Parts: sequence; structure tokens; C-alpha cells
Amino acid sequence: MKKMPKLFLVALLALWGPLAHATVRVFACEPEWGALVKEIAGDRATVYVATTAMQDVHRIQARPSLIARARSADLVVCTGAELEIGWIPMVRSQSGNERIQLGKPGYLEVASFVPRIEVPTVVDRALGDMHPQGNPHIQFGPRQMQLAAVEVEKRLAQVDPAGEQDYRTRLADFTRRWKDATARWATLGAPLKGVGVIQYHKNFSYLFDFLGMRETGTLEPKPGVEPTSSHLNELITQQKTDPARMVIRSSYHAEGPAQWLASRIGVPSIMLPATVGGTPGAKDLFGLYDDSIRRMLDALKQGG
Amino acid sequence: MPPKRLMAAALVAAAVVSCPVHAQTPSGDDLESIRRQLQELKQTYETRIQALEARLKAAEEASRHAERSAAQAQTRAENAEVAAAQAQPQPVQAQPNKLNPAISLILNGTWGRYGHDPSSRVTGFAASGGEVSPPRGASLGESELAMSGNVDPFFRGSFRASLAPEGGISVEEAFFETLALGNGFTIKGGRFFSGLGYQNAVHPHAWDFADASLVQRVFLGTNYGDDGIQLRYLPPLPVYLQLGAEIGRGRTFAGVGDVTRNPEGNGRGSEVFFAHLGDDIGDSHSYQVGVSHLRQESGTQGVSLFDYDDLTGVTNLFSGTQHITGVDFVYKWAPEGNPVYRNFKFATEWFQRRLDGRFAFDTRGINSVDGFQARQSGWYAQAVYQFMPYWRTGLRFDRLSAGSVALHANAANLTPPAFDPRRWSVMVDWSPSEFSRVRLQYNRDETRENAATGAALTDNQIFLQYVYSLGAHGAHKF
Repeated sequence: MKKMPKLFLVALLALWGPLAHATVRVFACEPEWGALVKEIAGDRATVYVATTAMQDVHRIQARPSLIARARSADLVVCTGAELEIGWIPMVRSQSGNERIQLGKPGYLEVASFVPRIEVPTVVDRALGDMHPQGNPHIQFGPRQMQLAAVEVEKRLAQVDPAGEQDYRTRLADFTRRWKDATARWATLGAPLKGVGVIQYHKNFSYLFDFLGMRETGTLEPKPGVEPTSSHLNELITQQKTDPARMVIRSSYHAEGPAQWLASRIGVPSIMLPATVGGTPGAKDLFGLYDDSIRRMLDALKQGG
Repeated sequence: MPPKRLMAAALVAAAVVSCPVHAQTPSGDDLESIRRQLQELKQTYETRIQALEARLKAAEEASRHAERSAAQAQTRAENAEVAAAQAQPQPVQAQPNKLNPAISLILNGTWGRYGHDPSSRVTGFAASGGEVSPPRGASLGESELAMSGNVDPFFRGSFRASLAPEGGISVEEAFFETLALGNGFTIKGGRFFSGLGYQNAVHPHAWDFADASLVQRVFLGTNYGDDGIQLRYLPPLPVYLQLGAEIGRGRTFAGVGDVTRNPEGNGRGSEVFFAHLGDDIGDSHSYQVGVSHLRQESGTQGVSLFDYDDLTGVTNLFSGTQHITGVDFVYKWAPEGNPVYRNFKFATEWFQRRLDGRFAFDTRGINSVDGFQARQSGWYAQAVYQFMPYWRTGLRFDRLSAGSVALHANAANLTPPAFDPRRWSVMVDWSPSEFSRVRLQYNRDETRENAATGAALTDNQIFLQYVYSLGAHGAHKF
């Protein structure tokens, strides 16, 4: 045991050199925040993304790899609104990293800085997996993403003051491109206005809100509860009075129940990327919106 | 040139030009006074110009900030509509119950069926009494009440009490933990479950089976914890490496029971060292391996070795040192890292216990005292598979090795059993949400020796168990 400290020092010194950083190390809880940080920070940041578009972020565990990455992070960017409540508090408390604790500039919960929809008036676990602060899947709100960009830039400048000028320039550039893209998406998605859809989980509410679409129901009887046959039958009955034109699931949801319902009510069943990386088209934030809207437009045509 | 600076320059020029107009009959004194006045004027304006320049600089700074917040202001305005629709003000960061700690309550109960008396102990091992099997029939388990929260920017606090069904409250954990040390260091102090091994720090409600593994039960007293201090360090590596050390009073003699009399040395009765290494392999696989060591002193007063009491019906005492060394390994799989539909977990732990000291046989009677050495070991391996949402099944094998026990002079009074206990467990559980679980488990228990035949006493045990968590969302521990 007594030889351990010496051995450690040697190991540390050997590893410290290559690890010594010139850039800001960012731990992004979800791929959308990784993509946003890359937009604002460019090469100034090295970004580690903790989850993928194939994973249900509610259900992640505080794995050793996540704790190791959080340990050296200068900035942690998460969604918040209790989306990561099962794992991020533990990752932070186990990390031994004071820079990413609650209240520090190095810990950002984006949802706290953007308007949220579907804020419940009654909060009780009997209603399923509740998010008292509203729908946390904010990556599909163009306005939310713009506000997020502003906050991300602010935090980057706080943890890396030397890069302030860079971040400001890149934010201005992003804002311009994002504004243009938002206008383009509004035009592109115009045929979707008023279209009724059923989604698996409330992953895409912000996008529906933006495009003026109408959610007629969710496959999940309650948030976070897997579809049941009785609930799917209710959706079939409801189709007669309040018709949906397509059934939408995210890249991490099972195809089965969505396909089953879609075939019963005679509408297309489609998959949308849950976030960046969910489909080959969703390479970045712009691609995420482009691809999602295109997929819905295709389904609309296909459904006739 | 900015307008303010231009104006100031013009004023100076005007003053200089206007002076000669008033000096129509210049004398030497007048000229001197005019020069002085001019000098004064010049100085006044210079200071004013400097002040104006400073203000200008500040204004430029402000405009830079304004530029940055322009994008924000614009989008904020666009969002006014959405914000207005949202009746409640935005809560800042997630904080359950505002400034109160997060509170959670665990309810659990079991229905048990046994072929033999569940209160008898594992043969040959000094069992703790910390975790005894649930009684026959329906029984309420220990309810747990937990509170935790940040104390201030520097510390986090956590408290967990266990409420026994027959009455009485015991404090399972009550500790503080640092938040602001940084550089990978964390200090935990108070009463806490030790970081040794893998399963030891897992609370009963989060177990994958209705009962603890045998090795955990007989060597660690189910959840070994002490009153003391823990230091953890994570070196800045791309993989997870956690190094930890604990020093405690030695409140319990692990696997044996409470130490009623304080050991010597101002209460430094136990030390723990542990190291864990873990990482992901691709998106779907993750693992953790660990080594741990626990050293304890019983103090000269000694502790009862219960099992020998059971055999002889007399009071025995052991005093000396206990070393527990362990190795643990955990592997988890979920397709593309998404555990919702299917996932798999494998865990195994091996522990060895060495006791070295003196043993007093029949302290109230013949009180024969001589040396005592014991070396015993045990392991378990378990696999749990979630084959569809909500449903999991698991298989576990437990094995203990009686090892060697040297009693020296007391060998004449006592023969330690040479019996290797083992157990098979199979379980199925259903968790319709993260907060509830119902479990059915079958144990083929061969942990006790049939004293008459020397063979194992086979006990078929069945448990039906419920576990409910209310309140604050629990942590998804690896």
C-alpha cells in the first residue's frame, strides 16, 4: 500500500502531459447540446456527449464512464426539467469536480432558461413520469434552441473568458443562420399546419407547436408507461372522431406498437430522430429539423 | 472621432480664440494672468476630456454587452407569447420541495415460506444478525425514510433511517459529503455504508434479489458501515478509476455484530481501502472491477462469535484482528445503451476473511484462552435479464468455504464445522414503473448442516415481496 502514492504520481505525470488542455472540455448530457456547443465554440471546445439518439435519456444510469468524463469537465450542459434526474445528480456528486456543481457557471440546465410547454397543473406520480417544470424535450423548439444558444455562449464565455470574442462572433453567426432556417422550416412545414398526429411519447410537442400541428394522442397511456392494448384500442376508437394522419415514434422507441396502431387506423407509421444522430440526415441541429419535417411531409403525401 | 470628443475640442478652441478678443490693452501682468487662465482652462478641459474618454470607453463596453444580449432580447420578445401562456414563473434549476431536502419513503414487505426454522444461522460462520431472513408468513420489512439535499455550496447532506416493524428506529446512514474540494477529491463523513465491494453500498430496496448474498451476509453483516470518514479520489483519466480510503471507530465487527465496548486506540477500529476501475465498451457494454480491503481491531475486550455459542451454548469471546479482502466485477449490457426494452446485468464478488487473535472458550466457566486463526472465503455470481419492459428474471449462486480454523488448546473443547454452505436462487420481478416492484423468488438453501448426518439440510424457500418508493426520484446507480 505504501508504494501506491509514488506509483500514482508517476502514472499521473505520464498521463497529465497529453491531457493538459488548451480547449474547454464540455460534457453534454444529450447530443443536441453537444451539437449546439460545437456551433458556438467551434474548435475551442472538446465535446463529450453522454447519450445517443437511440437511448431513452430518462433511464440512463450513472455509469463509471460518465463519472470519469464529468470529473474533468469545465462545463456540463444538460436539458434539466428533471429529464436527467435519475443520473446527473449522482454523476455530479461522484465526480469530485467543484466546477460542475449546482449554481456554478460550469453547470447549465438549459430548460431553466427557455419557455416550456405542457407544464402540468396537477403533479402526482399516479399520472405517470411527471415533469413538474413542463415538457423537457425542448430541442425541437426553434425559439427554445435560440435562447439556449444565448445561454450556452454566456456560460462558455464565463468558463473560458479568453474565447469571449470567438463565442460572440459564432453566436451572431448561428443566430443569423438559425433565424433563416426557422423561416425556411415554417415555409417547408406549412402543409403540416393543422395536421393531427399520434406520437409515442411527448418527444416532438415543441415541433408540433412550432408548425401548428395537432397531437391527437400518445401511444403511452401515461408518460413513461409502455403502450397497453386497452389504450391502443381507445386510440382506434378516437380515430373516428379526431383523426390522426400519421403515427410518430422517436429513434429510441420500439417499432411494434406504433406499426400495429398505424396499420389498424390506416395511416403511415414513421420514425423521427429523437435528437441529433437519430437518423443519417440529422447530422447537426439544422439537419435534425430538416430531416424531421421532410419525414413528416413524406408521410403526409404517402397517406394521401 | 466620436461626437462628444469633437465637441470638447471645439470648446477648447473657442476658449483659446475668445481670449485675445477681451485682452484689448495687454500689460505684462495681464499677459501673465491670461497665460495662467489659459493654462487653467487647458488643464480643466484636459481632465474633462479624459473623463469623457473614460465615459466613452464605458459606453463602448456597454454597447458590446448590448450587442451580445441583442440576440437574447430579440428571441425573448418573440417568446413573450409562449412565456405569457406559461402561467408559472420559471423555477431556477431542479430543486424538489424548494429549499427542503428531497424526501423519500420505502415500503416493503414479504410473504415467506420455509421448510425449516428461518432463524437458525449459516453453519460454521459467525453471522451478523444484521440481516436475518424474513419470518414465516406475511411480514412487514423495514421501512426506510431518507432525506438528502445540498447544505450550502460546499456540502451535501444525506440521512436514511430504517424503521423496524416491531418498533424502533435505526440510523442506517447519516453523512455529509463535500461538493467544493475539486480536483477529483471528495470527503464523506458521518455514518455511511462502506465503499468496499460492489453490492455493499446498495440499499436493500435496490437489490436484485429478495435477500443479500451469503458472502455479504456472513462477512459484511449485509451492509457494512461505520462511523468515520471516507476520502475518495478520481485521477484525471479517460477511464473511471476511483480510489478510496475510510477510517472508522469500528462500530461493528463486520459479519459478527456490534462491538459493545469501544476498542482501544481512541476508537480507530477499522480501515478500508478500495479501488474501482470501469468504462464502456462501445454503446452497449459497460463494466466495473474492484478490489477492497477491510481491517478491523476487536480490542482486548473481544467480541462474541455467535456461531460457536450456538454450538456449545456457552459464551465465547474473540479478540484480535479481522482482515476482509474482496474482488468484485460487474458487467452490464443494453442494446445501444437503451435499457428500456431489454438489458442484462452480471455481478460477482469474492471475499476472504482472516481472523487472527485469541479465543476465550466458555468465559463464564472454564475460560480457556488460547490463540485463534481462521481463514474463510465465499463468493456469489448473479445474472439478471430484463426480457421485456417491466419484467426481469434472475439467477444467483452462493458458495461459502469453511476454510481452516485453528483453535490451538481450545481444539479440545470445540470442533469447528467443516461444512461448505451453498444456495441457488431464482427470481422473477415485475416493475411497472421505477417506483414499484413485485418479486417472486425461490431459494434452494443448503446453508445449514444436518448435525445428525453431517449432510446439508435442504430448505426450499419461497418469497413474495413488494418494494415501493415514494417521493423524491432515486438515483440510477450503476
